[in-house]
Amino acid sequence: MEDPFATASDAELLSDPRFHQQNVYAIVMRVLGRFEFALGRRVSWSFGGHQLKVAPHATADANAYYSKEDEGLFFGYFVDPATNGLVFSCLSHDVVAHETTHALVDGLRSRYTDPSSPDQAAFHEGISDVVALLSIFALREVMAGLLSDWKGTGKVSAKKLSPASLRQSALFALAEQMGSAMSQARGQALRNSVRIVQNPALISSAEYQEPHRRGELLVAAMLNALIEIWSERVTGLFLSAGELDLSRVVEEGQRAADILLTMSIRALDYCPPVHLGFGDYLSALVTADREIRPDDSTYHFRARLLASFAAYGIKPSSLGDTEEPGIWTAADGTFSHERSHFEPMQRDADEVFRFIWENRKALDLTEGVYTEVQSVRPCIRAGGDGFFLRETVVEYVQILRLMPPELADAGYTRPDAELLPDDREVFIHGGGTLIFDEWGQLKYHVHNRLNSYASQSARIAYLAESGYYLARRPKSEAVRVTRQGLFSQMHLNRGLNRSRKIADLWTGAKAPPDPVPAHVCGVHSFISTEEENDDANA
Amino acid sequence: MPTPKPTSLSIRSYQVGFGDSFLLTFHYPKVGGKLKDVHILVDCGSTGMPAAATHSLDDIAQQIATDCGGKLDAVIATHRHADHINGFATNAAGDNSGDTLAKLKPELVAQPWTEDPALAPDAIKPTKKVNALASFTRGLQAMHACAALAADEAVRLGSALPERTRKQLAFLGETNLANLSAVKNLMTMGKKNEYLSYGSKTGLTKLLPGVKIHVLGPPTPADYSEIEKQRSKDKDEFWHLLGATAQKPAKARAPFDKKFAAKTRPAHARWFAQRVTAAHIQQRLEIVRALDDALNNTSLILLFEVGGKKFLFPGDAQIENWNYALKDAPEAAANCKLLAATDFYKVGHHGSLNATPKTLWKLFAKKGAPTKKTTLTTVVSTMAGKHGSTAANTEVPRSTLVAELEKNSVFFTTQRIKKPPLFEKRDFPL
Repeated sequence: MEDPFATASDAELLSDPRFHQQNVYAIVMRVLGRFEFALGRRVSWSFGGHQLKVAPHATADANAYYSKEDEGLFFGYFVDPATNGLVFSCLSHDVVAHETTHALVDGLRSRYTDPSSPDQAAFHEGISDVVALLSIFALREVMAGLLSDWKGTGKVSAKKLSPASLRQSALFALAEQMGSAMSQARGQALRNSVRIVQNPALISSAEYQEPHRRGELLVAAMLNALIEIWSERVTGLFLSAGELDLSRVVEEGQRAADILLTMSIRALDYCPPVHLGFGDYLSALVTADREIRPDDSTYHFRARLLASFAAYGIKPSSLGDTEEPGIWTAADGTFSHERSHFEPMQRDADEVFRFIWENRKALDLTEGVYTEVQSVRPCIRAGGDGFFLRETVVEYVQILRLMPPELADAGYTRPDAELLPDDREVFIHGGGTLIFDEWGQLKYHVHNRLNSYASQSARIAYLAESGYYLARRPKSEAVRVTRQGLFSQMHLNRGLNRSRKIADLWTGAKAPPDPVPAHVCGVHSFISTEEENDDANA
Repeated sequence: MPTPKPTSLSIRSYQVGFGDSFLLTFHYPKVGGKLKDVHILVDCGSTGMPAAATHSLDDIAQQIATDCGGKLDAVIATHRHADHINGFATNAAGDNSGDTLAKLKPELVAQPWTEDPALAPDAIKPTKKVNALASFTRGLQAMHACAALAADEAVRLGSALPERTRKQLAFLGETNLANLSAVKNLMTMGKKNEYLSYGSKTGLTKLLPGVKIHVLGPPTPADYSEIEKQRSKDKDEFWHLLGATAQKPAKARAPFDKKFAAKTRPAHARWFAQRVTAAHIQQRLEIVRALDDALNNTSLILLFEVGGKKFLFPGDAQIENWNYALKDAPEAAANCKLLAATDFYKVGHHGSLNATPKTLWKLFAKKGAPTKKTTLTTVVSTMAGKHGSTAANTEVPRSTLVAELEKNSVFFTTQRIKKPPLFEKRDFPL
């Protein structure tokens, strides 16, 4: 295919909106392709249609975001006060990759935007930064340019490849490359994450309860593991004292980053459908990887990731075994296949529901509550041994709706009535991911159940303290409210550092403060809108 | 000679519709056969008079001139929102409300630190401390630019917007516009100017012997922790970024050469194009709401303590401003104790849902039946139907707050002033 811009100068490219369109399209498709490669199947969007719409010049504001309701990505542009020139967020690789990842993750796990915990609120931002940063490694010239300070010699100084110098490198601080204006618009998320000092106490500190800051811990844990691996891998590549071959160094970095990116996407399939914690994600990372890449003796990715997460205070949710610590425990128990059929179990939600229903005791589900199979996703993943790994990934959710006075009898702890008045309905979400092997046998059941009373109670308490229930309408006045603007709001709030306790507003006993959550954001950005349709379960 | 002490205080609340204007008159005993009254004007502004009203801000200014006998001792401008200071605006003919007020020659004009002209971008001395403060005031300028853009868009997009959205955008945009002549007048009308922040000493003390004045807000960036400082710096930078775009709206509206413009919008793109516009307006609204909050939070919070009574004037301060005095300041406990004994409360932000933090209301110890002698007085200067909506429970004044004030305080609202005189006067023996 002919490249219409092959001979265009930078100035011509910048002033031609058609180039902007092509650029943003190329990056979105590349990230999409990367997800499909890792998952071994086509991916779907959370909004039903098959095409994500992209507006490269949506608004004259320093913002860029994904909107599920609008089925698209919106990129803003703005005047850089330092140079007076226009800055286009659609030209920034990391911004485009970041927003695309939001859309893709929402398609894979639509309940991760639900109100739940600081971890879940932070995850969307964290994983989007991880994918954005790792995607850069695929761009060979960019990498070589960022690493080498004497271009053209094909060499790189060993000093630049220690973990400490790599952490300072622009490679892991992409927003800086886009100019300080862009990094401001992004709330500096990409700027500093890998430089966060390793300290297990951070995750419980007040500063890191805020979702964006907390998301940076995930980025720091993932990317620092990569830095360690890369730095170690290049030790054998010395040309002469203090100098290494640049292209080989780049290759090693690309290979390692490529594996990590695949791991980080595959892990999503092994995550529970509701209430994701960082520990769940870590267990999913190592389990999904072990399934398809059992031999990790070259890079020791799994051990390195476990150590790096531990350095930031994140432990895997599963103990694992001595050989593979942290991996999910294999599904045990006897499951009946008497009333379900092998072939439709690989594609049909109703067939899988039948299986789940017949095995509700073995799966330890709560009976008598709304239960729905959200997705059945067959996938074929390429393994390093020349064979294919065939799996079917199923998500199901269970939803229990209770009024606060009923919580105690159902086994949950009720927060203070000041924070959770009697007339606010409480939605409790449970659910699990079922991984079936190529013979239709259940390999893993990854779950956060309704009957995990302690952790469900902790979530209710967290939401109550965040003012979530006070902002909801009483059951008698419940209405359907759309969630428009979730991510746009989040990015704006990040820029503005806004947060406000709803408990201090005159919302009265009967209503939320504002249908548009202008005054209830910042920390509560994920939980400020009324996410549950009160007239339906799903 | 013992310090003279005022024997009573009169507080006049003027009918300015949606806005604030209060005249505090401290009555001192006769000295050498002469009664001495000290007049202090707190704010003068309005963004809308009641539909039935026939008077304007000029009439209010004339009334103030009469009530203070042609001489103001001090002017307090709590923050720079139009509904608090546009009464100070002057005109070329010299006959605007601000001209009338300037002739009252106040000895002192007190404003929040954010108004200090020494912090203006073109007057910065490169010291570290000044830089932190200046960054904030530059942020304020950027906010005005954003507000102007919003007001402009409300007009430009006009009928393309839903009526409620257009009204909100226009209202918030206009309130937050820079009031240049008013700002300038405040800068020059007094013999002295002072710019106050939490804990400042004020020249008002000298004008008001026997009265203790506590400045409880706004805090300055210097009062914040390191994390907060960084956050507030990021925030200022963010405003600069938004402001830069707002100051060049033409550039932002047409980023590319005309030749690239499509002649017609293809059918398949129409749905999405409409969503893009809606998203853009939503963003704009969020931004002006945020900047409205930010300006409200620059409000001076003043507590007058005299003869065992306490009078509280918090401008439009919202929780973020209050938080410092109530929670984060080293003297927080003492402040709470002081505020608990409040006898008079000027209700913040025209009775909106977010400017009387429940934390503060809970503190007030003198709540009670209006018939009880010790019950505190609350006054709100407001006009219904101007801002917010009842359906969304954002109406100003907020009904739940008003109900609480009516039940547990001696409550007065300027909405009750329907005919001249254009004020309501309350006397407090001290």
